[in-house]
Amino acid sequence: MADPGFGIYVHIPFCKHRCHYCDFNTYEGQDDLHASYADALVKEVRRWDGPTRSATSVFFGGGTPTLLPSHQLGLVLQAVRDRHGLSEDAEVTAEANPETVDEAYFTALLEAGFNRVSVGVQSLVPKVLVGLGRTHPPEVALRALDAAHRAGFDDVNADLIYGSPWEEDEDWVRSLEGVIDSGVAHVSAYALTVEEGTPLATLVRSGRTPGVDPDIQARRHDIASQLLGAAGFARYEISNWSRPGRASRHNVLYWSAGEYLGFGAGAHAHVEGERWWSTRLPRDFIAAVQADSSTTAGSERLDDDARAGEALMLGLRLRTGVDLDGFSKRFGASPLSKRTGTLDRLREVGLLELSGSRLRLSDRGTLLANEALCELL
Amino acid sequence: MDQAHQRAIAVIAHIDHGKSTLSDRLLQLTGTVSDRDMREQFLDRMDLERERGITIKAAAVRMRYAAPDGAEYQINLIDTPGHVDFGYEVSRSLAACDGVLLLVDAAQGIEAQTLTNLYLAVDAGLEIIPVLNKIDLPAAQPERYAQELASLIGCDPADIFRISAKTGEGVDELLEAIVSKVPPPKGDPDAPLRALVFDSVYDAYRGVIAYVRVVDGRLQRRQAIRLMVADFAADADEIGIMAPDAQVVESLETGEVGYVIAGIKEVALAKVGDTITSADRPAGKPLPGYREPKPMVFAGIYPIEGDDFPELRDALDKLKLNDAALVFEPESSTALGFGFRCGFLGLLHMEIVRERLEREFDLELIATAPSVGYEIELMGAQKQIVRNPTDMPDPSKIEAVYEPYVSVMVVTPSEFVGTVMQLCQERRGELKEMHYLSTERVEIRYHMPLGEIIFDFFDQLKSRTKGYASLDYEPVGMYPSNLVRVDLLLNQQPVDAFSTIVHRDKAYDYGKTMTERLRKLIPRQMFDVPIQAAIGSRVIARETVKAKRKDVLAKCYGGDITRKRKLLEQQKKGKKKMKQIGAVEVPQGAFIDALRVDADLDAGAKS
Ligand SMILES: Nc1nc2c(ncn2[C@@H]2O[C@H](COP(=O)(O)OP(=O)(O)OP(=O)(O)O)[C@@H](O)[C@H]2O)c(=O)[nH]1
Ligand code: SF4
Ligand SMILES: [Mg+2]
Repeated sequence: MADPGFGIYVHIPFCKHRCHYCDFNTYEGQDDLHASYADALVKEVRRWDGPTRSATSVFFGGGTPTLLPSHQLGLVLQAVRDRHGLSEDAEVTAEANPETVDEAYFTALLEAGFNRVSVGVQSLVPKVLVGLGRTHPPEVALRALDAAHRAGFDDVNADLIYGSPWEEDEDWVRSLEGVIDSGVAHVSAYALTVEEGTPLATLVRSGRTPGVDPDIQARRHDIASQLLGAAGFARYEISNWSRPGRASRHNVLYWSAGEYLGFGAGAHAHVEGERWWSTRLPRDFIAAVQADSSTTAGSERLDDDARAGEALMLGLRLRTGVDLDGFSKRFGASPLSKRTGTLDRLREVGLLELSGSRLRLSDRGTLLANEALCELL
Repeated sequence: MDQAHQRAIAVIAHIDHGKSTLSDRLLQLTGTVSDRDMREQFLDRMDLERERGITIKAAAVRMRYAAPDGAEYQINLIDTPGHVDFGYEVSRSLAACDGVLLLVDAAQGIEAQTLTNLYLAVDAGLEIIPVLNKIDLPAAQPERYAQELASLIGCDPADIFRISAKTGEGVDELLEAIVSKVPPPKGDPDAPLRALVFDSVYDAYRGVIAYVRVVDGRLQRRQAIRLMVADFAADADEIGIMAPDAQVVESLETGEVGYVIAGIKEVALAKVGDTITSADRPAGKPLPGYREPKPMVFAGIYPIEGDDFPELRDALDKLKLNDAALVFEPESSTALGFGFRCGFLGLLHMEIVRERLEREFDLELIATAPSVGYEIELMGAQKQIVRNPTDMPDPSKIEAVYEPYVSVMVVTPSEFVGTVMQLCQERRGELKEMHYLSTERVEIRYHMPLGEIIFDFFDQLKSRTKGYASLDYEPVGMYPSNLVRVDLLLNQQPVDAFSTIVHRDKAYDYGKTMTERLRKLIPRQMFDVPIQAAIGSRVIARETVKAKRKDVLAKCYGGDITRKRKLLEQQKKGKKKMKQIGAVEVPQGAFIDALRVDADLDAGAKS
C-alpha cells in the first residue's frame, strides 16, 4: 500500500442552526466563544509536542468552519504550517455553509492557503431542505458554489443528502443535475441516516415523519451513480464521486487507515494504531488549552489483528479496494489467513470480488457493505 | 367419633360461585379457624390460588360442630375447584363424601359446571343440598334462580337455601341442614380396613402424604398397611387430620377423613384412587377407583436460554411429584432447541404449570401452540400416537387420523342460542341435545373435536355471548377426521415449531396466517426468502421476504473511525446471536414472537 500521507483535521464546533438530522459535535448559540476558540486552536496546534511531519492534507470540518471570520481560519492554518509543515502539493479543505460565504470570503480563504472547499448543499429542492431543517433556499447554495469557483477554487465539493422522507426520485435528480451543472469537481452523496438523539429521530419515533426506506435509498444511490457517471464523475468510495484525479486526499487518507492529527473539540487523531480524541464541549476545550492542560478525553490502542480488521473495514469502502499483497506486507500474513473462510464465503455470496490481488466490494456489495465489513473485524 | 355423628360433604359449584368463601364461613362458625386467623378463601393456600383467586386443588378439612340439639358432630368438608381443567378433583372428592352443597350464584344462575358437578353428585348417589349464594348482591335474583334450580333437581323452590357466603347470612341454617340432611357414613367398622386415597402430595421432607377416607374398618398409627392396586407394603408412621392445619391423631375411624404418612418416596406408589388396607387383615377387594386424569392438551415447552435445559428438566421432575396429571418427555426442535413435549389437563393447567416453572424455578420459557394427541392408523392397520405434529407420518402412509372428541356442554341465556350454535358449527361441532332449563336458560350439547376447543373456543364463546355463556366438556373418545399436517418452510427448510395438525378445510387459513406472520418477523436477508405453508409437498400459501438492498454506513465523521468500528462490532455481535435455519439468519426472538402472538391471531384465522 503506497504511503497515503499524513493529515491534519481541525474541528470548528459551531453552527448557526442545528439541522434536524445532525448528530455532529456542533453547537448553536455560542457565538461568544468563537474568538477564544480560534485562539485556543492556534495555541493547541502550536503546542503539539508529539511526533509530526508535513501534512499532505488539512481538513477544516465542523460544524461550520466558515462561521468564523476567514482570517481566524487563516491563523489556524498558519499555525499548522509553522508547527507541522505542509507538503508542497498539500490538499487544504474548508467545509463551508452556503449561508456564511460569498466570493470575498472565498477569495480570503484562497489567499490564506486553502485550495479546496466543500459546500453543504444537501439538496436543491425547497421542501427537502425544509424537512432537513436547513435554513437556506436552493439558490443560496448554488450561489455559494458559483462564488467559490469565481474566487478561483478548482476543487469544489458539493455535499448532498439523499433518501430523506420528503424526497421523490425527481427531486434527487434535480439536486444532482444542479450540482453537476455548477461545475463542481467532487460530489459527496450521503444516504440520510436517522441518528439517535436528533430531532429527526424524535419525529420519526413519534410517527410524525416517516422513517427512511433503505430500498428507496438504494435506488437513489443507483440514480446518483448513473447521473454522475454520465457527467464524467467516478465513484471512488461508497459515498464519494469525483472528476478524474480530483478525489479528496484527506478522505482517502481515512479509508486507507492512514495517520492524522486532530485539533479542536471532539477531534479524532490516529497515529501508529493509537486513536485518541479531545474533549467534546468547546468550553472545556478552551479551558484546557488556556490552563495548559491536555485536551484528550479518551483513547484506544488496537492490537495488531484489530488494526488489520479495521484496515479492511476502511479500505474496502474504496472503489479500488484493498491490495492484498500490500496488506500482507503491512500487517503480516496471519490477519488474512485467519479470515480466509469468511472472505471466501463473502465472495461466494457475491458481496466481495477479487481481481488480481485486489479485493473489493462488488456492485451489490457496495450498498450492503456492513454485512461484509462487520464480519471482517 | 362414632359414625352417627359424622358428616362428610363437598362444596361444588361453577367457577367463582363462592365455594371457598362459603368454606370460610363454615370454618369460622364451627370455630375451626378463629376470626383473628381468618383470611379470604382460607383453603386456597397455594400462591397461584391466592393470586388468581381460584381454587386449583381440592382441600379437605375437619370441623367440630356443636348442634343446637346439644350433640357434637364431626364434619369433613372438601372445598373443590370449579374450573373444567380440574374437574377430576371434584369427582375424586365426591368419593370421599356422603353429601354435597351445590352452590349457585344468585346473580348468575345455573352454569355449565353447575350441571356437570350436579350430575357427578347424582351419579355418586350423594345427598344434594341446593344453595343460592351471593343474595347480598344487588343483581341477585334468588326467586328466579330458585325456580330454575328447583326444576333442575326436582325439589320445591322453598327447599333451596339462600345465603350470602360473604356476610354469613343463612349459613347457620345451612350448617344445621348438613347435619340433618346428609346421612352418616355407611361403612362397616368391623370389616377389614379399606381407605380410599383421594389425594396424594409429595413433601420433600416427609415423602408422600396420602389423603384418605376410611370407608371400612379403622386405620391406626404404626399399622402395617398395603396399597392394594400398587401392591406395595408400608407402615403408617403418622396419621393425622387437617383442622385446618395438620394435627396428629392415633387413628382414623370408619367414615373419617385424614392423612397418612408411610415413608413412601413416590407419588406413583400411593396413587389417587388406590385403596389402603391392613397388611395383617387385608380386604378382599379394593374400592372402585377413579379414572386417572389423562393429559388432553400437549405443547412443547422450551427454555428461552438453551443452557437452561437441565434446569427445566429438574423443575418438571419436581412439579410432577405433586401433579400426577403432568406428563413430559424431551424433544428437540430446530427452531427452539431442546425442550419437552408436555401433556396437560387443559389450557388453564398448561398456563399454571408454565407459570410455576417460570416463577418457582426462575426459568424463561416459550411454549409452542397447544395441540391435542392424535392417533394415526397407518397403511396396514398399524397405529401410532402423535403428540407432536412433526411426528405425523407422510400423508401417503396414512390410512386414517383419529382425534379426541369431547362432549361439550354450553349453558347460555336463550337469546344467544343462535350465536352459540353458529360458533359450534364453525368448530366442526355436531348438535346432540338442546334442553331448556327454564324459559331463559338453555343447555346445549355438542359432539366436537377437542382440538377446536383449545383453539380459543372459550374466548370466542365468552365474547360472542357477552360473557353469559359457560362451558364444560368431557372426553368421549377418538374419532376419525379429515386432518392434515401443515408445515411452515423457511427457504425450503421446515421450521418444526410451527407444524400443526388441522382440519383440511382450515389448512389454508392457518398457512396464510402463519406465512404472513413470519414474513413480518423474519428480517430481510441477502437473498429473497420464500416462506411457504405446505401439506406434504403441496404448497398452500406463500410469502416472500424480499432481499435486503442497502446496509451501509454513509459517512465517517471527522475521522471518528472508532465509532464506526463499534457500530459494526455491534452488528457482528447481533449476527452471532442469530439462529441459522439453512442459509437464513433468524433472530432468536422471531420464532418466539411468532408463537407469542398465537392467541391473538388464531381468533382471526379461525372465525
Ligand atoms: N357479594 C358476594 N360475593 C361473594 C359471595 N361469595 C363469594 N363471593 C365472591 O365471589 C368471588 C369468588 O369466590 P370464591 O369463594 O373464590 O369462589 P369459588 O367458587 O371458590 O371459585 P373457584 O374455586 O375458582 O371455582 C370472590 O370475589 C368472592 O369474594 C357472596 O355471598 N356475596
Ligand atoms: S450545518 Fe452541518 S454541522 Fe451544522 S448542524 Fe447542519 S449538518 Fe450539522
Ligand atoms: Mg374456590
